[in-house]
Amino acid sequence: MLIKLTGGQVYDPASGVDGQIQDIYIQDGRIVDMPVGDFKIDKEYDLHGKVVMSGAIDMHTHIGGGKGNIARTLLPEDHRQDPVSRSDITRSGCGHAMPSTFVTGYRYAEMGYTAGFEPAVLPINARQAHMEMGDIPILDKGGYVMLGSDDYLLRMLTAKKDQKAINDYVAWTMNAAKAIGVKVVNPGGINAFKFNQRKLDLDEQNAHYGVTPRDILEVLATAVKELGVKHPLHVHGCNLGVPGNVQTTLDTIQGIGGLPMHLTHIQFHSYGTEGDMKFSSGAAQIAEAVNNNKNITIDVGQVLFGQTVTASGDSMRQHYNHKFASPNKWVVMDIECDAGCGVVPFKYKDQNFVNALQWAIGLETFLLVNDPWRIFLTTDHPNGAPFTSYPHLIRLLMDRSFRNEVLSTIHPEAQKMTTLASITREYTLQEIAIMTRAGAAKLIGLKDRGGLSAGNWADITVYTDNTNRQTMFEKPDYMFKDGELVVVDGKVVHTKWGTTHVVQPDFDPSVETGLKDYFDRYLTMKLGNFKISDDEITEDGRGSITVHPLNGVA
Amino acid sequence: MSALTFTLKYQPKQRVDMSPLVCQLLQGKTTQQIAALELQSGKLKLRVDQVFDISGDDTQAIVIKNSFAKLDFIGKELDGGSITVEGDAGAYLAMGMKTGEIKVTGSVGLYAACEMKKGYLEIGGNVGDFLGAALPGNKMGMKGGTILVKGNAGERVGDHLRRGTILIEGNAGDYCGSRMTAGTIAVMGQTGRYLGYAMRRGTLLLWNQPQLSASFNDCGSHTLGFLPLLFNSFKKFNSKFADASVAFNRVQRYAGDMSEMGKAEVLVKIK
Repeated sequence: MLIKLTGGQVYDPASGVDGQIQDIYIQDGRIVDMPVGDFKIDKEYDLHGKVVMSGAIDMHTHIGGGKGNIARTLLPEDHRQDPVSRSDITRSGCGHAMPSTFVTGYRYAEMGYTAGFEPAVLPINARQAHMEMGDIPILDKGGYVMLGSDDYLLRMLTAKKDQKAINDYVAWTMNAAKAIGVKVVNPGGINAFKFNQRKLDLDEQNAHYGVTPRDILEVLATAVKELGVKHPLHVHGCNLGVPGNVQTTLDTIQGIGGLPMHLTHIQFHSYGTEGDMKFSSGAAQIAEAVNNNKNITIDVGQVLFGQTVTASGDSMRQHYNHKFASPNKWVVMDIECDAGCGVVPFKYKDQNFVNALQWAIGLETFLLVNDPWRIFLTTDHPNGAPFTSYPHLIRLLMDRSFRNEVLSTIHPEAQKMTTLASITREYTLQEIAIMTRAGAAKLIGLKDRGGLSAGNWADITVYTDNTNRQTMFEKPDYMFKDGELVVVDGKVVHTKWGTTHVVQPDFDPSVETGLKDYFDRYLTMKLGNFKISDDEITEDGRGSITVHPLNGVA
Repeated sequence: MSALTFTLKYQPKQRVDMSPLVCQLLQGKTTQQIAALELQSGKLKLRVDQVFDISGDDTQAIVIKNSFAKLDFIGKELDGGSITVEGDAGAYLAMGMKTGEIKVTGSVGLYAACEMKKGYLEIGGNVGDFLGAALPGNKMGMKGGTILVKGNAGERVGDHLRRGTILIEGNAGDYCGSRMTAGTIAVMGQTGRYLGYAMRRGTLLLWNQPQLSASFNDCGSHTLGFLPLLFNSFKKFNSKFADASVAFNRVQRYAGDMSEMGKAEVLVKIK
């Protein structure tokens, strides 16, 4: 079947197309060049006056894994207040801050998103995370496997194992857990929490293992680079949310010594200690460091006002944050001695000085980082705000007068502490397309996604241009996933299943010898059961696995 | 004007959501309009006149006749007026009631008066678990008003109770007063295990010695001047609680739950 999208204004940063009028042809799920000779078009969509982009990709969103279910269990009221009834083609569900899997898929699709990546797949819980993401319709998905506070790696570091051994362990874990990247959360800090440390700075030693976060970041970033994994080490740094942590973040950037590194939800790591409240914005310093260090990429983790829930592997910081829980209930737990988990409901208020400044810091970061290929639009769903607030966030970035209007309503002291009002930058549609599409696909290392040139999978979103960018991005006219029309006028009209994106770096099989002993002695499952087979994802007939290339490998 | 009366014609197989039939939502509606309202029952939507014969016209005085245990959400968020239920009622009776009066002659299901704000609820028979409690996951149960139960109550009476009074002439089940933040629960009959579990503040007033957890401390016997005043305030009720002979002012006082704030008290009548 040949589909033609006629006359749309195309924003495709991957091939340098910036708002030109172009036709797009789709055949067998992929975008193709205009066929030569006689050809018959089976279906044509007139897109004159419409904006065409590839499907959006959320490169950091908590949509699978145990903590989501803990959040759901903890917040039944979140579900009671937002029921979603079934229709002939969609299933029922519920949830505002942490929606059910089906509703997650529908709501993402209805905003023009075609992929989401779970950033905290704990190896020992990876099966559950994949099963849960397997229940999210329409979207493609993938996960970054969480390392850095696992005893096995820390033991290796204490025993001064060489980089090769660590590379093998990382590659083996990525294969076993079906990951596309590696994430580290509060490097070593989750482990240190269990040895009664309540904070861990970049150069502070784990009381038991004697390893510092800096050591962990270095070996993991090196491993990721040497294995050829395209997605740089995904780092949730030390001291999340601590006033003054901007210095830690700058030190982390310097300390990595030019290795590729992605700093996630950097808004939560950009706090200074100036002013009467001893809380200030470090966004300018962070943006300068990011602008000057081409090896660094960031996503923002923007805070938007309203009720949400924070779900993080960082049990150390979440334990501290529990006193701000609203409503007042929280969970912090160890997970199988491998890492931790903290779930704390939060209500960000515009009349709260700290929350208001957090909001401003995130926006400052967006606007002060020059290169949209190295900064990504996230709210760290659901930690800063639910993903459904993205259209609002896009409007804040693209519309200065709207931004200043909102700014004038927040806590007055916070207004005085931010330079936001003086920043004139407004994001362009092309820059939004880079941040949410082409850049994200490049960062994760997705082949044939995030672009609209021939050969790419036909993940395409069509919007009606509107000066109110929120309205525009809330409700795409059409969304195609793998060439199938799934959304019309912001409503799902057809559902399908996305694929699971992975990489498969090589490792020396002898790595399992040491691991087997460790599993037998300490863990709750055997090594053989730990490894997820392809069948587990594909055998239900709807999931599939897409393996992406590594650097230096064709 | 005579009371707006709904007489059940038959007992539907599935539970019926009665929340549209409250005084404030029916105000100003004609009998025809009310008859045409739809009630959710399982996956069916039933017109009110399919299920009930309707008579009378005073929307501020509703009577439900032949009621049975599958009629849920009677008087949900009632905001003034009165509802009289002749027969049993299902779950979530008087949920979130704001003000007004509800009387049930029979027995009632789970979560009666959960998160009730104000008003008066009287239950002639027994009541299920979670009377005056918070919905699962919520932190605040009943916030005000009075509940009178003439029969027995189930488990978790007043779970997360925030304010208000619950009077039980019969027995109460396990976990009576669990996680209470404040308020008063009085039980004339027996109470079950784990009385006042994780209770923070508030008062449990008992006629019979309970089984207390180790986390409650005996504070000795007292003569409390406020008790006669409290009993006086019960005089207006059509209840054993109004009877001067049941009143007392000598109590054994226990403080707890020491695994929580420990500012709650259990007062037990000294016989």
